Amino acid sequence: MMKAYNIMLAGVGGQGLVLTTSIICSAAFYAGYDVKSNDIIGLSQRGGKVWGSVRLGEKIYSPNIPPGDADFLVALEPLEADRWKGSLKKEGILIVNTGEIAPAHVAAEKAEYPADIIERLSTSYRLYAIDAASEGKKLGSAKVANLFLIGVLANHMEIPIEAWHAAIRENVPAGFIDMNIRAFDIGYEMHDQRE
Amino acid sequence: MEGKKVLMTGNQAIARGFYEAGGLVAASYPGSPAVEILESIKREYRQIYSEFSVNEKVALEVAMGASFAGARALASMKHVGVNIAMDPLMTFTQTKTAGGFVLVSGDDPGMASSQNEQDNRIIGKFANMAVLDPCDSQEAKDFTKISLELSETYGMPVMLRITSRLCHSRGIVELLDREEKPAEGFKPDKTNFNMIPPNTFKKQFEMKERLESLSKAAMDLGINRLEKGNGSEVLIITSGLVYNNLMELNLDMPVLKLGLVYPLPLDAIRSLASDYRRLIVIEEMSPFIENELKINGIECEGKSYFSFTGELGIEEIEAGLLRAGIFEESRYSGKMGEDKSVPPRLPLFCAGCPHRPVFDILKKSGRKVVGDIGCYSLAGIFPIEVLDTIISMGSSLGIIKGMAKAMKLSGKSEPLVAVIGDSTFFHSGMTGMVNMLHQIDPEDNMTIVILNNGTTAMTGGQHTASSGSYASEDDMHVDLEVLLRAMGFENVRSVDQFKYKEAKEAIDEEIKRPGLSIVIATRPCALRFKIREPHFYVDPNVCIACRNCIRTNCPPLRMKKYEGIEKLKSSINPEMCVGCSVCSQVCPVGAIKRADGEVE
Ligand code: SF4
Ligand code: SF4
Repeated sequence: MMKAYNIMLAGVGGQGLVLTTSIICSAAFYAGYDVKSNDIIGLSQRGGKVWGSVRLGEKIYSPNIPPGDADFLVALEPLEADRWKGSLKKEGILIVNTGEIAPAHVAAEKAEYPADIIERLSTSYRLYAIDAASEGKKLGSAKVANLFLIGVLANHMEIPIEAWHAAIRENVPAGFIDMNIRAFDIGYEMHDQRE
Repeated sequence: MEGKKVLMTGNQAIARGFYEAGGLVAASYPGSPAVEILESIKREYRQIYSEFSVNEKVALEVAMGASFAGARALASMKHVGVNIAMDPLMTFTQTKTAGGFVLVSGDDPGMASSQNEQDNRIIGKFANMAVLDPCDSQEAKDFTKISLELSETYGMPVMLRITSRLCHSRGIVELLDREEKPAEGFKPDKTNFNMIPPNTFKKQFEMKERLESLSKAAMDLGINRLEKGNGSEVLIITSGLVYNNLMELNLDMPVLKLGLVYPLPLDAIRSLASDYRRLIVIEEMSPFIENELKINGIECEGKSYFSFTGELGIEEIEAGLLRAGIFEESRYSGKMGEDKSVPPRLPLFCAGCPHRPVFDILKKSGRKVVGDIGCYSLAGIFPIEVLDTIISMGSSLGIIKGMAKAMKLSGKSEPLVAVIGDSTFFHSGMTGMVNMLHQIDPEDNMTIVILNNGTTAMTGGQHTASSGSYASEDDMHVDLEVLLRAMGFENVRSVDQFKYKEAKEAIDEEIKRPGLSIVIATRPCALRFKIREPHFYVDPNVCIACRNCIRTNCPPLRMKKYEGIEKLKSSINPEMCVGCSVCSQVCPVGAIKRADGEVE
């Protein structure tokens, strides 16, 4: 029996959520899973809140994950982690990029950006926090940020690393494959150091 | 290729289905959630002639012409796009189709990116078309092919109705080879293609008969299926993605999954109904299937347990079945997905977006502004909030005129402004523009700002009739200024809104001037035509914290705490700034400066 996983993704329009979803789907597909996913696109692409989901297992009907049923929440931004924490199971794993993006209400000083998101969430969930943009810049581009998070995720799943690499190769532009794979590998190992 | 499995979104799967079915001509106007269908045809299947037409009516007409010539044809659009195409559609469906014709309607339950929520199954019925409702990517592909076959077998145009969730959901799809279907050419048949009386009288009967025979055959087509579960208490009737959400609840109950939602296999359902005590219909948006059953004398329940609006996810279906008393225990009720107490995050204009300076100018003008549909509709919500009306594509030009006339007759004249994008202008604004010339009163003070960013930005940057002036690879080069002058307008001027002061002077001047003025704002879309300039930064020692820059609402701008400075001062996130310079131009004290440095 294959292990089934529900992965929730959340971020801000423009952060590459569609690509991230796509890579996870491809890896699951290469590993022989049935897989379904959701993306929210359209209006919210312009800096709004965006979220998606990937579900994999032997047989998947719906791409939707009901509240409280996600094994993982991959959040590309802390405030979005805070917003979607309720999608996680009690023992769920939260993987967060710590780079903050202020929503319009915060920029206009109508709302406060909560100061303690990471600490607060780490008391309730197994949490991995990564300053992915800075890590990415060390490799040459902030654009690979999401790959660190995917690396951490991959380490918690029973999908062979070759399937992940193949998924990255299939989904990222040809000139950036190596950099993306390196970011993924760093994320994959980062997890081991933290255990 | 045969038998290979790949991951595809529902949209990509429809494109693939059209390709495999030997489709020859596809046309569309970009609109979420269905825009990706034509994009993937353009990208992957070059054998097919495809175009983004100027609007949905034209797209439908192009596909219709191809079908007349015996080719398999597809027209795809979002749900509100079908409204634009309604006029030719209603007459086209009277004809007996030659080449298979499928109209893909992307419905948007929950309005993820639309101004309304409309259930186009009703339009399908209204237009006497068969309506198919696939549940995942594989079915989206299969049903596209089935639609074309049904269209040819029954001589009727078919609607493939999909929802936004399915459009963007990925699933595994098995690929098959393309089956070539050369067009047989146009075979003149005036009694079929000349839709005027007396030819049309016979057509009313033909439309009725073909639907009746399809209804009788519906259970044998392999697209409606009965899944036997336990018990004879309740039969659930459902279709589309709702079926898949229902399956996740793992209920051991009989389910009739409909692939063809219009016409319904009424005889078959009637005889099934006698085996069960209750029939429960689960469907998104309107009680379409439920009403069809009821008006045909088949007793059933449905919308009394389920929402009439929005999507029916797994948890909503569970809650509805709980209300219907089907079972007692709940797994999901009381659980919260999205935490509504977290500060909201609304969509906003991109960094370097050319709309921002225009709206900053209009906001400062304090005038009432009639909006339209496109990226710039974002100026209707927080924090810009300058648009006073937003209705439908191209409607701003008619609305501003009616408003001006009514206000004048009530003695309440005031200068009014309307904004419209280039794609929207060509889509259906042009007729409203021409209408401006009719009974124009030199006293009606109207200023129309055409936001000519050279693209259909809202849906990801498809071309428009004027993109050619920004992108050499584009084949349409309609010059807006020349066009407007040729139409007969005199007060037409172009401004570069990144020259903030000049643009402000021009717009303010035109607002003051009595009569009709047209201002064309000429900067291209920041997303499609990337600006690559060194970024700007704020000198906190010069900044007086007036927040003029913040009010332009550019995403990199934010007030922040600097070391050793007590008051909050403005700041710019260098990662996000594209260097358009607008913020520096609105700063009264010159605190915002260009960084010398590398362009990324
Ligand atoms: S220069 Fe100012 S307005 Fe332009 S992108 Fe940068 S922060 Fe935004
Ligand atoms: S406009 Fe200039 S002075 Fe005003 S807050 Fe912005 S940087 Fe400071």
